[in-house]
Amino acid sequence: MNAWEMVSMALISLRTNKLRSFLTMLGILIGVASIIAIVAIGNGGKAAVLGAIASGSAQNTIQIVPRELVAPGLPQPGQVLAIDESDLAIAASFSGVQQVNYTLYGTAVVGSGNRSDNASIEAGPANLNELTRLQITRGHMFSQADVIGHRDVAVLSQSLANKLFGSGNPIGGLVTVSGVPLQVIGVAVSQQASLFSLFMGSDALYMPATTCQDLFPNWSISEMDVQAAPGTNLQNLAQRIVTALNIHAGDATAFADSSGLASSVGALLSKVTTILTLVIGAIAGIALLVGGVGVMNIMLVSVTERTQEIGIRISLGATRTAILFQFLVESATITAIGGLAGVVIGSLIGLGIRMATGIPASVPWPIAVLSFLFSAVIGVVCGLYPANKAARLNPIEALRYE
Amino acid sequence: MIELNGVRKAYKVGDELLMVLHGIDLRIEEGEFVSIMGPSGSGKSTLMHIIGCLDTPSAGEYRLRGTSVGGLSARDLAVLRNRTIGFVFQNFHLLPRITAVRNVELPLLYAGVSRAQRRSRALELLARVGMADRAQHLPTALSGGQKQRVAIARALANDPALILADEPTGALDQRTGLEIIELLRELHSAGRTIVVITHDPTVAAAADRTIYIVDGHIQREEVRRG
Repeated sequence: MNAWEMVSMALISLRTNKLRSFLTMLGILIGVASIIAIVAIGNGGKAAVLGAIASGSAQNTIQIVPRELVAPGLPQPGQVLAIDESDLAIAASFSGVQQVNYTLYGTAVVGSGNRSDNASIEAGPANLNELTRLQITRGHMFSQADVIGHRDVAVLSQSLANKLFGSGNPIGGLVTVSGVPLQVIGVAVSQQASLFSLFMGSDALYMPATTCQDLFPNWSISEMDVQAAPGTNLQNLAQRIVTALNIHAGDATAFADSSGLASSVGALLSKVTTILTLVIGAIAGIALLVGGVGVMNIMLVSVTERTQEIGIRISLGATRTAILFQFLVESATITAIGGLAGVVIGSLIGLGIRMATGIPASVPWPIAVLSFLFSAVIGVVCGLYPANKAARLNPIEALRYE
Repeated sequence: MIELNGVRKAYKVGDELLMVLHGIDLRIEEGEFVSIMGPSGSGKSTLMHIIGCLDTPSAGEYRLRGTSVGGLSARDLAVLRNRTIGFVFQNFHLLPRITAVRNVELPLLYAGVSRAQRRSRALELLARVGMADRAQHLPTALSGGQKQRVAIARALANDPALILADEPTGALDQRTGLEIIELLRELHSAGRTIVVITHDPTVAAAADRTIYIVDGHIQREEVRRG
């Protein structure tokens, strides 16, 4: 009797008790499916966090922000709340610095015709799209000339463009910000990982920093983007610039390197995600264990119910090993099918979450294979005691059993 | 074929030892048709279990085709039951959830016969007991006599030298019972050794020789033919 015949025998026997086999399977299925789904979500969350960090810092760029923006709270008297021209000049004086740009953030009502929407405004240099990882999907990004010339141009996020222009073409259209009309020259999709856009919303308008300063003269510069020469030790440079800025401001904590902060926050988030995945995974593991106990219980009932069958098989020449294997294979078949279904359903849950929230939930295939094998092993382990009980039955008593 | 020398069997019931067989000496030759008769509680079932290698003697020796069964391992006993003995039970003992042909295939399965050969051999045996058209039926869809025919086909699966029938007509009406006895006689004519355990004198009378057991002793035996 080869392995396949044993499995097909087990399937026949499982089919005669469909509901019971299904319910037994369900325990394993739920356990495996929750493990798979949790791993998928955990992985997706981590990928989202790491993606957000990667997207937050463009290559060879140091982002410096006033301390107040890092840790919001009551500003101390004399605390630096904004970056001014002298700070930019200090940063520009360091060797290895190619260019110093700045960014302003705020919110404003953006209108077009009779529609309007409250959007976040991001104003910066011509490479703002690199700094904040925008992908231009229509039109083009504003240029250095636009920045220098204080031109009234804007790039809209896809969702803002949809809200203001519907299905029409926004390129060349006009939007008004603070009463000033801006010409739409491009539409962009933020490639910042979705976890961040979940918190920040995705209605945004991007414009040259100079234009923004004309429109909102009282807005302060919220971020300094220092472009360094390739091969520069960014961490070291950032530290030196921050120290110089702090001395200039007369406050040792006036400025901070936000690119460093982003990565340390990211590391923390990723750590938290890992711990959460482990904790919830452990709970799912307990569910799997309970499922295994259920399998063992049902196998014991099955052995008792089929005592006479076992007696008949022994009288026909089945060895103890054959009886043992019969029940082991049956038990492993239940859990393997349950495990397989669990992997499929867990992956579908992950896929559903991916589609619903945009978190890139994914199941690494070794985890899927491992979960499947593990559930088969649970079947063997939990089937061992009942199968052994079956194999040790006294044939005469078993034959008489009614 | 079968040789029992001073076979005793005792069971432990609580703290007491219950003696069921008190020294049985018995020889059954190859090709004989023997019936073993006795009232219930006489020990004839225990004797059948020992002859069928489902149980081992507490004392004495049992030799089946020259081999002393007492010294065999559980695995060897299983092989012996599989190849040398074909059981026919009073309650048929077919597995209820598999078809007639699959029931007949079971001993072949444990003998390691390939799938295709199993199927063709099982169908051939079912045809031989007149059950060819019922091969794909579940036992629940068969009458008592039909079930016993399937059971006999199953007993013949590995072409065993010995057919051991325990009250084969006990659950059948008289006419069907006679048909089954007739089937056993046919198998005997074909050269097989048949041992029937019964308390029915009509069934016992079909055999060449009848051994009477009372209280764990052989009381007497009666030879009709042979």
